[in-house]
Amino acid sequence: MSDLAIDIRKVVKRFDEHVAVRELSLEVPRGSVYGLLGPNGAGKTTTIRMILDVLLPDAGSIAIFGRPNTDYGVLDKVGYLPEERGLYKKMQVRRVLLFLAELKGMRAADVAPRIDEWLERFSLVTPEKNWGDAKIDELSRGMQQKVQFIATLLHDPDLVILDEPFSGLDPINAQALKDAVLELKRRGKTVIFSTHVMDNAEKMCDSVCIIARGEKVLDGSMTDVKRNAGTRNVALGLTGGARNGVTEVLRDSQLVRKFDDTNNYFELELAPNADAQLLLRRLIDAGASIERFELMQPSLHQIFLQRVGAAGVETGMSGHG
Amino acid sequence: MGNLGKLFVVAKREYMERIRSRWFIVMTLLVPAIFAGAMLFPIYVAARSSASGSALRNIAIVDATGTGLGEQIATTLRTDTTLGPATDSIAPRVVVTTPADLPAKERELQAQVAQPNSLIGYLVLTDSTLTGNLARYAGRNASTINDIDRLRTIVRQEVMIARLQREGVRADVVKDIATTTFRLKSERITERGRSGSGTGGFLAGIIVGVLLFMSIVFHGQNVLTGVLEEKSTRVAEVVISSVKPEVLLAGKVLGVGGVGLTQQAAWLGITAYLMSFVTPILTKGLTGPAAAAASDQFGGGFATISMATIALILVYFIIGFVFYASLYAAAGSMANSEQEAKQAAAPVLILLMSTWLLVQTILVNPNSKLAVALSWFPWSSPIIVPLRIGLTTVSPFTIAGSIVVAILGCVGAVWLSARIYRVGMLMYGKKPSFGEVAKWIRYA
Repeated sequence: MSDLAIDIRKVVKRFDEHVAVRELSLEVPRGSVYGLLGPNGAGKTTTIRMILDVLLPDAGSIAIFGRPNTDYGVLDKVGYLPEERGLYKKMQVRRVLLFLAELKGMRAADVAPRIDEWLERFSLVTPEKNWGDAKIDELSRGMQQKVQFIATLLHDPDLVILDEPFSGLDPINAQALKDAVLELKRRGKTVIFSTHVMDNAEKMCDSVCIIARGEKVLDGSMTDVKRNAGTRNVALGLTGGARNGVTEVLRDSQLVRKFDDTNNYFELELAPNADAQLLLRRLIDAGASIERFELMQPSLHQIFLQRVGAAGVETGMSGHG
Repeated sequence: MGNLGKLFVVAKREYMERIRSRWFIVMTLLVPAIFAGAMLFPIYVAARSSASGSALRNIAIVDATGTGLGEQIATTLRTDTTLGPATDSIAPRVVVTTPADLPAKERELQAQVAQPNSLIGYLVLTDSTLTGNLARYAGRNASTINDIDRLRTIVRQEVMIARLQREGVRADVVKDIATTTFRLKSERITERGRSGSGTGGFLAGIIVGVLLFMSIVFHGQNVLTGVLEEKSTRVAEVVISSVKPEVLLAGKVLGVGGVGLTQQAAWLGITAYLMSFVTPILTKGLTGPAAAAASDQFGGGFATISMATIALILVYFIIGFVFYASLYAAAGSMANSEQEAKQAAAPVLILLMSTWLLVQTILVNPNSKLAVALSWFPWSSPIIVPLRIGLTTVSPFTIAGSIVVAILGCVGAVWLSARIYRVGMLMYGKKPSFGEVAKWIRYA
């Protein structure tokens, strides 16, 4: 078995004259939470649809757990929550869930008890009402979102793909979704989600890929992405100001490129390849009384703006990312 | 899970959800009721009109001929079984009079008829009746064509008997000749031999044609709305991420087709039951040629349909349905709203209607060049060939050939539809132009 949940190589997708995805390569490690980031119209949804064999790539290859995604049964192990959500309106909740699970190759007898479990877990079964027996269009929007989420996970997929999962969620449901993603990770599942909200991605992802105009801008583990993002600053607070030995440490050009002194508070820019931990140790050795030592990494949002910029959003593009 | 398993899951959902719907139940029960009603109505009318014939027994006969003709007519009216069982309880009253007293008697009877719950009318027999010219009738049922017709026949018959007797012909011979009834029974001759009544086959042919056409239109539209629902609720994307669009399309067509077959079986079953159950009740007391004609017309036609014919009709239904339903599915996948769907489905409907409009011509002459030609096009053969089988003899070569051509047409339609469907299901927003759809077919 491959260590990669998804291995995309040089995938191309054209629509008429417009190239939606060009020579995109991605590697999603097994068991990770992976963020597919990019502005609207960047090619996120197109990429996801190609992973799911909903769209056929014009060139390139896509493997899921080491097997081509067109192989029999490979996609049965994938759960998908599309950006555009919706279910059969006139159908009973329980029957919709059963149908979608059966399409993933589950046996009806195995699914039925799981449906009950999930409905209870999402409080769709209450002492007053069992929403499992209601028709979809009798449910509130929030409840429909829950049902759709259950449908994504009901067949216990090893790989879960969520396209813009946070759009349209209220804060409570958004938190529930975050918890659910983390639980999936704990259970060894791989989760990929696309978003243009960097804040969510920064908090949840182990690895990210930023794409714009159908091309990869950068990818890698969150730590690598941040480390490679360039400048690293340290906010330093000292009780009683800098003593002699301390100033010497701060003047070491191997460690600090430049620093800004405001008596008790310092803003340092680390020298290239300098280790922040070494700096901290040196400061303590020099007898500094440290009140605050904070590594100020640029936020994903800043990196995104810096790398993609306003130019990354193609004008006139609309619809799906 | 393989494609076949998923095909079954999709078909099962389509089938079960539709069978469960209220509409299905209403339609399944309503249509046979209408069908049976339409077929039973003529029988009912026949039965009713003969029942009202008993009104003729409640008349007065004013006989001014002086020959006892009135008495003869009264006896015949009383015993004629087409007016209901022979009875003595209501018998025509004979008033023998002279030509001089006639106006007074008439006035008297007129007053009686005018009162409710008394005499229905009166018949006046004079010398000119005996010469074969004229009898008069006045009564409340004078506008009831059936009654007047019946009365005229009886009077004519009795006058004829009286005149023949006067010419010296023996009474029993006269009776025998005068009451001759005549019925023309038509039978169709095919290569397999004689097979049932001609009109029955005609009727059965029409019914099969109507049924096929209606089912294809109705359930084809069902496929269209089903596809449109999946697209507009956006559930399509989740489904297509689990099953190939071609499999989804095929499962849908199969599932809805299954509903169509179930419904037709129910329709035929219920209609047959209603007919067999209700006909005897309606035709009770109806004997002689009328009843025979009725049962001939309705029962006979269906009795002549062999199992082989039923199997053929089934094959043609399946082919025709798959052909049109897949085109309807493609139309549904192109559209974003009911309105657009109707427009997109217009070419399909035109194809279907063009066939339907020619059905009448083919009913009149099922062996015409047109009929033969239409048996070879995949869009018309599923309706035309079963119709012709019901009306005439279609050669096995034509049947086999048309099935092969129609199946090839189906493969083409499904292939084309699957390509349109694959792209169309995920295209939202603008309605595609023909050029764009052509592009989908090429690139899908």
